[in-house]
Amino acid sequence: MTAPALPVSDTSLRPVGRRRGAFLREILRRPNGAFGIGILAVFTILAILPDVLVGPLQTAVTATGPRLAPPSTEFPFGTDQLGRSILNLTVHATRISMVIGLLATFITVAIGAVLGIVSGYVGGRFDAVLMRVADFFLVLPTFVLAIILTAIIRDALGTGSRELFGIRLSLLVIVVVIGITSWSSAARIIRAQTLSLKERAFVDRARVIGASSGHIMRRHILPNVVNLIVANAVLTFAGAILTETTLSFVGLGDPFQPSWGQLLEAARSTGAPGLGAWWYFVPAGTAVVLVVFAFTLLGNALDDILNPKLQGRR
Amino acid sequence: MTQTPDEIRGRRQWPLPKLADPAAPLLEVRDLKTHFRLERGWVRAVDGVSFSLADGEALGLAGESGCGKTTTALSLVRLLPSNGRIRGGSVELFGIDLVPKSERAMQRYRWREISIVFQGAMNALNPVIRVADQIAEPIRHRLGQSDTAAKRRAAELLDLVGIPRKRLGAYPHELSGGMRQRAMIAMALACDPAIVIGDEPTTALDVMVQAQILLLLEQLRRDLGLSLILITHDLSVIAETCDRVLIMYAGKVAEEGPVERVFREPRHPYTRKLLGAFPNIHADRRTLEVIPGQPPDLLDPPTGCRFAPRCPFVMPVCSEVDPPEVRFDDGVRVACHLFPSSDEVSGASPATPTAAGEDAA
Amino acid sequence: MSLRYLARRLASAAITILLIVILNFVLFRMMPGSPERILLGRIPNVSGEVVAATRERWGLDKPLFPDQFVAYLAATAQGDLGFSYGARGRPVTDVLLQKLGPTLLLFGLGELIAIVLGLALGAYSGWRRGGVLDHLGNGLSLILYSTPYFLLGMALLLIFATGLGWFPTFGIDTVGRVYSGPLDQIADIGFHLALPLATVALGLVGQYSILMRSSIVETLSEDYITTARAKGLTEGRVLRTHAIPNALLPAVTLIAINLGYVVAGAITVEVVFNWPGLGTLTVDALSSRDFPVLQGVFLLLSVGVVLANLVADLTYGILDPRVRT
Repeated sequence: MTAPALPVSDTSLRPVGRRRGAFLREILRRPNGAFGIGILAVFTILAILPDVLVGPLQTAVTATGPRLAPPSTEFPFGTDQLGRSILNLTVHATRISMVIGLLATFITVAIGAVLGIVSGYVGGRFDAVLMRVADFFLVLPTFVLAIILTAIIRDALGTGSRELFGIRLSLLVIVVVIGITSWSSAARIIRAQTLSLKERAFVDRARVIGASSGHIMRRHILPNVVNLIVANAVLTFAGAILTETTLSFVGLGDPFQPSWGQLLEAARSTGAPGLGAWWYFVPAGTAVVLVVFAFTLLGNALDDILNPKLQGRR
Repeated sequence: MTQTPDEIRGRRQWPLPKLADPAAPLLEVRDLKTHFRLERGWVRAVDGVSFSLADGEALGLAGESGCGKTTTALSLVRLLPSNGRIRGGSVELFGIDLVPKSERAMQRYRWREISIVFQGAMNALNPVIRVADQIAEPIRHRLGQSDTAAKRRAAELLDLVGIPRKRLGAYPHELSGGMRQRAMIAMALACDPAIVIGDEPTTALDVMVQAQILLLLEQLRRDLGLSLILITHDLSVIAETCDRVLIMYAGKVAEEGPVERVFREPRHPYTRKLLGAFPNIHADRRTLEVIPGQPPDLLDPPTGCRFAPRCPFVMPVCSEVDPPEVRFDDGVRVACHLFPSSDEVSGASPATPTAAGEDAA
Repeated sequence: MSLRYLARRLASAAITILLIVILNFVLFRMMPGSPERILLGRIPNVSGEVVAATRERWGLDKPLFPDQFVAYLAATAQGDLGFSYGARGRPVTDVLLQKLGPTLLLFGLGELIAIVLGLALGAYSGWRRGGVLDHLGNGLSLILYSTPYFLLGMALLLIFATGLGWFPTFGIDTVGRVYSGPLDQIADIGFHLALPLATVALGLVGQYSILMRSSIVETLSEDYITTARAKGLTEGRVLRTHAIPNALLPAVTLIAINLGYVVAGAITVEVVFNWPGLGTLTVDALSSRDFPVLQGVFLLLSVGVVLANLVADLTYGILDPRVRT
């Protein structure tokens, strides 16, 4: 009746990954999973095809509308203080926000996975020190650190109009900084899983037949933590979007490649809330909330599927 | 037994519940059906179980894990998981049926009439409350006694189960496994209940401590005249402690009767297998695996006898007709087609729930 | 609480603060510009002697480690964080102290309201799991959790200040107003505080409620809850005396751990309402690249979070008898 409770991390070992189709069905079967996927699908389309949907990004030069005008038939979401269409800006910002979120998630999870697996597998003093550092980062007000790091790195690099993958360097700095400051929880979770995997028979077997540590970590540990990494990445994505939005809001965005946060910053510095210009920040704000909400729902759905122990408790 | 049933009921410190029938048996369970709701349907964890318990008697509930013995016991006080429902039958305590009682009304019977000693007291005791306070809690809140009186009574109870006075202020984690189980027993005695249920009370303990706890239960039973329902998968515990044994298989009663009769002359093939699986009195679960096959899926149990797929004496009729209960003269009842009601074994008669009820009346 | 537990917690907090100072030192040396320039800020007309004295004091002619590091440590310990680039070269410590009060007021109160409200809502919602209120509360909590604090602030500002005109739109008090007494002043500040406070509390309450809810749900499945129910205690009593005290334990730890993340993000609320605290200071310092002030804010917030964590650890020690021994 009271079997010893498995550590939560351990229960995610079910071989879900072997049947991706079934896995996706499993997600869509849950209301939160289906809702999350639905919202994200819409925003993914917006992010891929902004030019097709609303035309090229409007600038101060190409602005066509009146200044700070409320929604009209010509400008369904109204215009900003330069006369640009808010609809146009918001849809283009989708691409910037999503791409930065994606890249930042990738870097965060990559750092977390590598450090987590190596730390858990190698163990000993290395593990102790690394986890101490992870705890340090967990406690730290990483957002303020991110502000300082972004400012310092930008000043050191000098901000030109250089681009990489179509993203301006100034924004890539944000990506890297988010990665540096938010890897710790991923590392902790993946390390815990690695620790339990290390004790499994198949790892012992591999060690006995003389496989190198690197080989074992790549071939035996990594495939077994992939599910966990994916589930963690989904929640990290939500966090990355929030962080990027907030960093842009305090003035670290790039006006030439506006993200949602950058639009919100522009709205605030224009005094939109005080002027009653709700149309300036409601579209971008709604987009942020919806996307973060969708990722959180999806993350919860994944958690339900990967941790069957908790099923029925939500 | 040193006391007769009447004496035992006579030493009750608290009046019987208002609606109680003084002539009724202590506990009479009839055709109890407790099912669990899953997305795919109902799991028939307990499916038509009947038994009775007399004052001062000790009944052992045995069977493989998942056979429904714990669910049966928890159904008596309706402490089921949220997806569990009693879907049929009755549980009569002093002739009062508890099944239709509201949750509020049910609370009045819990602990005062039926208390439970849970398995693995580490988890069953609240880690952040002192053990003595956990024992005093029902005395204060159920019996309405003052704080000091409850504390004093808790100390007495700890004395009674052999926990030294100086451990009075201890938290659960500060006690050993055996001590915690003793505390759990003291807690179960707090309101002087009519029935104590022991749900695998010795399972998590090592053999020496197990023996001590069993000795304590035995002692308390003799001294206090406890009526006991003991749930365990360990038949040797039942052999040592109980008067009667009820063997369950897949949510149904396979065999029930006086311990010495059932253990000396097991009739149901499952009982025989179970007993055969215990060459050594202290062997544990490991040996249970000797019975080939798995218990049936209770979401969709097979028709006929549920043991048929694993039974060495299986006959064509077994997988078609539910075996009726047959009652023998020596007080044993068996549900198995090997003992058809017509095939007289010195006056055996089918023991339907109604028949059993009439017998008792 | 045992002395050993106390000592371990204190040591851990001290090490964390030391790590923060080390990190700050590294950041300080990473910064663009010469160290003297950073240290002296933009104080006009710095004489050669002052520069020399600064080089001497901070050991800038000596190796980076250990001399400069030790000098930095000593200065930090004495509260010497250098000079602000802006504000006519005022010491960073002065600038920080001036802005600390409003921030403490806003976040201290906001956290308090959010913790009390969030824990209560979460406990109720976990207890009545599956009910209408649970579903509603859960959805609302998730949406609040997904909303950046400043966005919430902008929405409240739009509705209740600009739209309905119930509250002032910015600042901590009415500029140029002459108060008839301290009560008058407190009322005015409270009036200005209402919206930012509501923003902070609302922003946090969702997270805390989610956290407490899952903790309660987890706790309610424990065996000792079944024991408590078996004792015939009322549901309310089971919740109050058995479930909540146990569910609070993980909640306290998680709230403390999240604090760093939460506080730093929530400083943006100050920007929306022009609240003269550390958040506004951060954004102003950022736009003028006033690195000494940024570093000072980081140090101050970090130490604050570490201390709050220490308090949480000690609270845990009181709540859970298992760590006392």
